Amino acid sequence: MKQKIFVIAALILLLCLILFMTRDLFFSHSENKPNPYEYDLKALKSADTTQSLYTEDRQIHTRLAEIHGVATDAADNIYIAGNGGVEIYSRDGVFLKKFSIKGTARCITVDVKDNIYLGMEDHVEIWNGSGKLITQWTSPGEESIITSIAVTDTWVFLADAGRKVVYRCDLSGKMIDRIGEKDPENKIPGFIVPSPYFDLGIAPDGSLWVVNPGRHEFEKYTFDGRLVSTWGEANMTMEGFCGCCNPSHFAFLHDGSFVTSEKGIERIKIYTSGGKFNSIVALSASFEEGTKGLDLAVDSRDRVIVLDPVKLMVRIFVKKK
Amino acid sequence: MSKQKLVIILLLLLTVQATSVFAVQRFPKPEFETGYIQPETQVPSPRTEILAVMDVVVLLLSLSVISWIVLKKRSRNGVFLMSVFSLIYFGFYREGCICAIGSIQNITLALFDYNYILPLTVIAFFIIPLVFTLFFGRTFCAGVCPFGAMQDMVAFRPQKLGSRLNAILGMVPYIYLGLAVLYAATGTDFIICRYDPFVGIFRFNASFSMFVFAGILLLSGIFIARPYCRFLCPYGVLLNWVSRFSRRHITITPAECIQCRLCEDSCPYDAIDFPVTSRNPESRQVMVRKLMLICTLIPFLIVAGGWTGIRLHETLAGVNGKVKLARQLLDPATLRIQSEPFEITAYKSSGKSQMQVNEEASVMLKRFYTGGWILGGFIGLMFGVVIAGRMLNIWRTDYVPNKGTCLSCTRCVDYCPVKSDLSKVNT
Repeated sequence: MKQKIFVIAALILLLCLILFMTRDLFFSHSENKPNPYEYDLKALKSADTTQSLYTEDRQIHTRLAEIHGVATDAADNIYIAGNGGVEIYSRDGVFLKKFSIKGTARCITVDVKDNIYLGMEDHVEIWNGSGKLITQWTSPGEESIITSIAVTDTWVFLADAGRKVVYRCDLSGKMIDRIGEKDPENKIPGFIVPSPYFDLGIAPDGSLWVVNPGRHEFEKYTFDGRLVSTWGEANMTMEGFCGCCNPSHFAFLHDGSFVTSEKGIERIKIYTSGGKFNSIVALSASFEEGTKGLDLAVDSRDRVIVLDPVKLMVRIFVKKK
Repeated sequence: MSKQKLVIILLLLLTVQATSVFAVQRFPKPEFETGYIQPETQVPSPRTEILAVMDVVVLLLSLSVISWIVLKKRSRNGVFLMSVFSLIYFGFYREGCICAIGSIQNITLALFDYNYILPLTVIAFFIIPLVFTLFFGRTFCAGVCPFGAMQDMVAFRPQKLGSRLNAILGMVPYIYLGLAVLYAATGTDFIICRYDPFVGIFRFNASFSMFVFAGILLLSGIFIARPYCRFLCPYGVLLNWVSRFSRRHITITPAECIQCRLCEDSCPYDAIDFPVTSRNPESRQVMVRKLMLICTLIPFLIVAGGWTGIRLHETLAGVNGKVKLARQLLDPATLRIQSEPFEITAYKSSGKSQMQVNEEASVMLKRFYTGGWILGGFIGLMFGVVIAGRMLNIWRTDYVPNKGTCLSCTRCVDYCPVKSDLSKVNT
């Protein structure tokens, strides 16, 4: 009896298969089917908006024709760097100053003395707040693309997307060390940087974090280049990072949480200091499709400052009340 | 470890490939602004000639070995080992292509489209199993076809279906064969490949639906042995026909049948014909009446099938890309929907006028009109033959494998107590 039931079930399954084939062959119409070959990320771009804990507070429209980097200083002034100049705005978005530079700054950082560090394609320039060039460092190499700078009391760290390495320099610009080069003996995987988006930062606890975008990971290094820990997961969900190479930029909140931005699926998210997904700041709907280079900064009030290079503005996101 | 346990472990390992179902492409493309030149997409070169020849040689050798195992050695273990080899070589190594089953379509297309270049390997894979079947029965099904091998390994609890159910389900391969030939002849689609349940498994890249398809076939194959071979395989239809004329075919008993009835339930495919002891079980009058009925029924079914095929020719043609495109262009609903079907997008970029599309569709519809008639007639004929087969009683004294449906798996051989020397009977 039991066997008979199994046979009947198996027969039903077989009939279902034949029906499936018949239906698929004769009655499945492609009129309403989406193009299976279309490059469509819509489904991935949608997300549960209840996870979004931030709202856009204000926008600062820049007068620069091309923008690449954003930073804040101790007084929460906002610095925007791009092609041919640097603009400075107050924390409320009031225009304060602008000075010209030769060439394009791909990244910007302001130290505690308000010195402005600009990554000028293959070298670093240091300017003061009144727009005077203090010094220009020599280029590490022709193929260098400096995409991020972090400054401590004694060291300056440069992320070189072209050579896929991080440099530790002293304050005079002398290169002391190369960090993150592939070293199987010390279990350093090496940076995979397929696009010129390669960010690093100093966490509130003073540790150095570097994005390894091709591996979709954050890597924590000691200042002498020892790999301490990593976090990050490559997957298509909101919790992970996806695409060829993400995240493209990041910044730290004061509790050590990471604010990350991605390209491909434009989104800004927050992860705890331990690397656990926490919340959403902004989703694709907030940006033009194909926006890349969403540089980030965080001010003393933990406002998330986002550079939108397509809309040519800086957008400030604050936590919902 | 028992054979069954080994097979279960192998099947579990196979399910690992289900992970590929969830694989996704990375995006967007890296920019490589650092001087890296993105390589052009590489198209894999066709299989080298020497390897293609090797495939044919392996096919010939495999068929020779399996025929020897079936007919001379009468060894079930030998058949099983050959099945494992074929599954590995023709299945996983050759990734299920070209297979004899799918070659029907290539042969058909080559007959109807002179521009289609038919590789010699395909011809070999189509003809060689048929030739071997003509001499030795369906030994190809026994241990060379990787589809059969895969299903044979999961037939743990095969149950009998009964002759009526076998006959009804047994009609499906004829319909499938007819459709496959029709769609190949009209250049529409290779539907055998489209619904190939196992090729995705062999290549470790099955889509979700095909993975489920294969899974259901294997699951039902536990209780209904080799469901694809018996109730779907279109090449099996050709083998069935050819095998009926096979010169040497496996026998249950190596000598004279002693009517012990031990083999009665041994065949998982219901392919053993029982003895019809009475030479004239029906009166002459009944037999004449049956014959007249068959002679009337078959032409009637052919005409009825042909008429139905004509009535359905537009539905059948709906699968064809040219007809489908013309329909979409004529349908005002297409203009209303937001996302444009990709066929329309492709048509717009082709530069063709709608008139040209309609003309091509019209030509295709005419071909389907004729094809529908032939397909319907063929299915009607097959219905008639199956009904006739059930009406007629053919006199036989022994338990014999049905030469058409027997897959030469040699399971029944082990049940027979008779040895080649009749004096030696296992007790």
